[in-house]
Amino acid sequence: MPNAAISLRLQINGHLHDLTVEPRVTLLDALREQFGLTGTKKGCDQGQCGACTVHVDGQRVLACLTLAAQVEGRTVTTIEGLGEEALHPVQAAFLEHDAFQCGYCTPGQIMSAVACIREGHAGTDDEIREYMSGNLCRCGAYPNIVAAIRQAAEASR
Amino acid sequence: MTPRSDVLTESRTKRGDAGDGRALGARITRVDGLAKVRGAATYSLEHRPADLAHAVLVGSTIAAGRVRRVDQSEAEKAPGVRLILTPDTIPALKTASNWLGERPSEGPYHALTHEIGFQGQHVAAVVADTLEQAVEAARLVTIEYDVAPAVADLRDSRAGAGTEVEAMTIAWGDAEAALEAAPAKIRREYTTPREYNVPIEPHGLIAEWQDEDHLTIWEPSQWIAGMARTYAEWFEIPYENLRMISPYIGGGFGSKALAYSYGAIAAQAAKLLGRPVKLAVTRPQTFTAYGGRAETRQEIALGATLEGKLLAIHHRAANETSTTGTWVERCGGTIAIMYATPNFSSKHRVVPVNTVLPSAFRAPGENPSAWGIESAIDELAYEIGLDPLAIRLLNYAEHDHQANLPWSSRQLREAFAAGAERFGWSKRSPAPRSMRAGSQLIGWGVAAGTYPMRRTPGQAIVRLLADGAVEVLSAAIDMGQGTYTILAQTAAEALAVPVERVAVRLGDSSMPWAPVGGGSQLANLMVGAVHKAALAARDELIGLALNDPKSPLRHLQANTLPVGDGRIGDLEIGAFLAAIGRDHIEVLRDTFAENGKSADDPFKTYTTITGGRTTTDNGYSAHSWCAHFIEVRVDEDFGTVRVSRVVSAFDCGRIFNPKLAESQWKGGIIQGIGQALLEEGVVDRRHGRVINNNLGDYLIPTNADVPDIEVISVGVPDFHATMLGGKGVGEVPIVGVAPAIANAVFHATGKRIRDLPITLDKLIG
Ligand code: FES
Ligand code: FES
Repeated sequence: MPNAAISLRLQINGHLHDLTVEPRVTLLDALREQFGLTGTKKGCDQGQCGACTVHVDGQRVLACLTLAAQVEGRTVTTIEGLGEEALHPVQAAFLEHDAFQCGYCTPGQIMSAVACIREGHAGTDDEIREYMSGNLCRCGAYPNIVAAIRQAAEASR
Repeated sequence: MTPRSDVLTESRTKRGDAGDGRALGARITRVDGLAKVRGAATYSLEHRPADLAHAVLVGSTIAAGRVRRVDQSEAEKAPGVRLILTPDTIPALKTASNWLGERPSEGPYHALTHEIGFQGQHVAAVVADTLEQAVEAARLVTIEYDVAPAVADLRDSRAGAGTEVEAMTIAWGDAEAALEAAPAKIRREYTTPREYNVPIEPHGLIAEWQDEDHLTIWEPSQWIAGMARTYAEWFEIPYENLRMISPYIGGGFGSKALAYSYGAIAAQAAKLLGRPVKLAVTRPQTFTAYGGRAETRQEIALGATLEGKLLAIHHRAANETSTTGTWVERCGGTIAIMYATPNFSSKHRVVPVNTVLPSAFRAPGENPSAWGIESAIDELAYEIGLDPLAIRLLNYAEHDHQANLPWSSRQLREAFAAGAERFGWSKRSPAPRSMRAGSQLIGWGVAAGTYPMRRTPGQAIVRLLADGAVEVLSAAIDMGQGTYTILAQTAAEALAVPVERVAVRLGDSSMPWAPVGGGSQLANLMVGAVHKAALAARDELIGLALNDPKSPLRHLQANTLPVGDGRIGDLEIGAFLAAIGRDHIEVLRDTFAENGKSADDPFKTYTTITGGRTTTDNGYSAHSWCAHFIEVRVDEDFGTVRVSRVVSAFDCGRIFNPKLAESQWKGGIIQGIGQALLEEGVVDRRHGRVINNNLGDYLIPTNADVPDIEVISVGVPDFHATMLGGKGVGEVPIVGVAPAIANAVFHATGKRIRDLPITLDKLIG
């Protein structure tokens, strides 16, 4: 039975979760459907929009192109785990700069932005634009996203 | 102008401009922003009822013909499968009325049919316990077709000329004779391809039946009442039994205002299975589950004096529609009002082709109309040797020539002036190809845009609670335009409480009526309704304080009492309410009277589009206006175009929250950049299908495609337009962007592109 359920133990936002799913379940669907962590969004389910961006061992990863089984033994951070008490500075900067409208791309943008700054790719506006271009925003919040990341990057230096 | 507006304007100057975070007009941070940056805003499809089943659609691989047979035997055997719906098995529903409130037929409605009118049309739906099982089983459904010849698109030789839409004909003077006699003239054709709304949240719904005749639908919706009506009529249940819930919408841009056939399929499946069903339309399916902007074609002839003064505009337009329905992408709107001309003629045709029925996409009609006229007037400027800005000012329409009425307000001249100043237009070198930086040709272009005011009454509840907090309830929606925020500001303004003390609840059909969140009308009209309800709540509170026998304030024998910050007079509102034995005050108000409408039939007003006012019904012609100034850089060797600078000035009347309005303006401009340079549904003519049906191939702007954008507000409060002086904000910013870019590309390269998008093959070819 290729699709017989498998048992997984995943570390998400600092908590261990046990999960029994078919091996073909993506990390994105596991987060949203199994754990109710719906902050991670599904915009295309085929790796083209960035709405599902999460961190796996601190790196930005598309959860729709990752199987839940692939992240066993690794640490997963979603938007819900980013600033559990106070807002993460990137979240605060997004809020301040109105870096979204509908908000659907926003968790993915923020997860990408945190990684973009950490990677050292937020040195100039053009660099931010380039390294944030895997995250589509149809509302067109890009100029405000750049402003928010610039501010958060400067504050982190 | 209503006295209320005066009061509000006055109180705004006292408080709002001081930026104390209280009043309408202040730059308040989005009140739903905190939930959105935390990932805590729960969109409709994220509702998680127990025992949820998942539906997956199977689409037609042919564009025209008939389903001969659906073989579901393999799929049925797949694990977890609970139900397969096909044209043979899906039960009939009742045909629902359309958005005009008319029932096209009294006959049955089949959400799946044997007749195929376009590629991607739903042919079957598979429902299983998990999404993965449903996806797998859907692959096992095989469909046999009898294929018929298909008409791929407008350019298909079999498409023909279609039919004229007489209601779209606009004429005054004698355009043909004037054109014939004009000393200067041009005649050109302008075209736009299929374009798609592409909200980042895909469509879909969760349907759950509470019993035989109570249905709840969680679905992203720009129009709670209209969609609820459709579902209720399909299933022949009373409207009140249909609950529609849409707390947040992940973008819509016109595409989430109607119930589509997949909604009927999901609700049908939920009924048959007796369990909730979720149907998430996949990204590729979003290109055919509903329509985007129709492909358009316009032939424009302009006649002018040698000095550039317009003598005639002659316009013939057409758009594609589907073989089963009519969508009119009204191309005669902007062209009829933008410039002063003594002679005008416009006609419009629709041409059926094998596509899903096209629908509304940001500034439907006005957008392609502006693409035509704002390109053509630019061509005329070069023909005559005039500056492109000068020709626009020379032909400035001082009133609405079509309606022959004064404008309610038109700050377009101010928009041109402010934009030109910030952009540095006076430093433009007039000749094409005369500005460059290395191998990059630089071009500067200008174009104007407009969008008419649509106005419908609204309704709202305002509650004053014992702890001084305020609640606002409405079935209006927020898809990013800021409804939550500006309604909180409105109530805060009227009741003199901080915005944080106001909780706004939207997106639920059990709340007071609101019309469609489209046509740039929702925020304005709901501000009017909430303002009225909030003032009424304040009056009721004061009335109780002065007159209720138990009121501790009655002895004051005052004429009125100050209300604010959770107090009435010097009493806490909670203490006052306790003293008179109440725990809250609640008022419901509507704005039928203010909009000159009868309150007789709220159902029809809100569930159809017939409840709105016209753009000119009070003797003024009301529109938003804008002017875009855009710089492009075109690589001379490769023909690649980049927008490097944008300055746009807007007249959207009074702005309730500049921070949010600026975001919407920038967003509209960015969609215009996409329209100009990237967006095109590529049709494979052999199979009549759009082949780039995903986000990797249907290109929308990315962060790296977008330069700094400066937006300027030049509007003034316009009380002829709306109760509180605002005009529409959301649609107008996309209008005129594509022609401003094409005009800039011409200035850079000397090449005039009249067929969108402007891609490198057209520039180096
Ligand atoms: S949902 Fe994963 S990239 Fe779009
Ligand atoms: S905020 Fe709507 S898609 Fe980015």
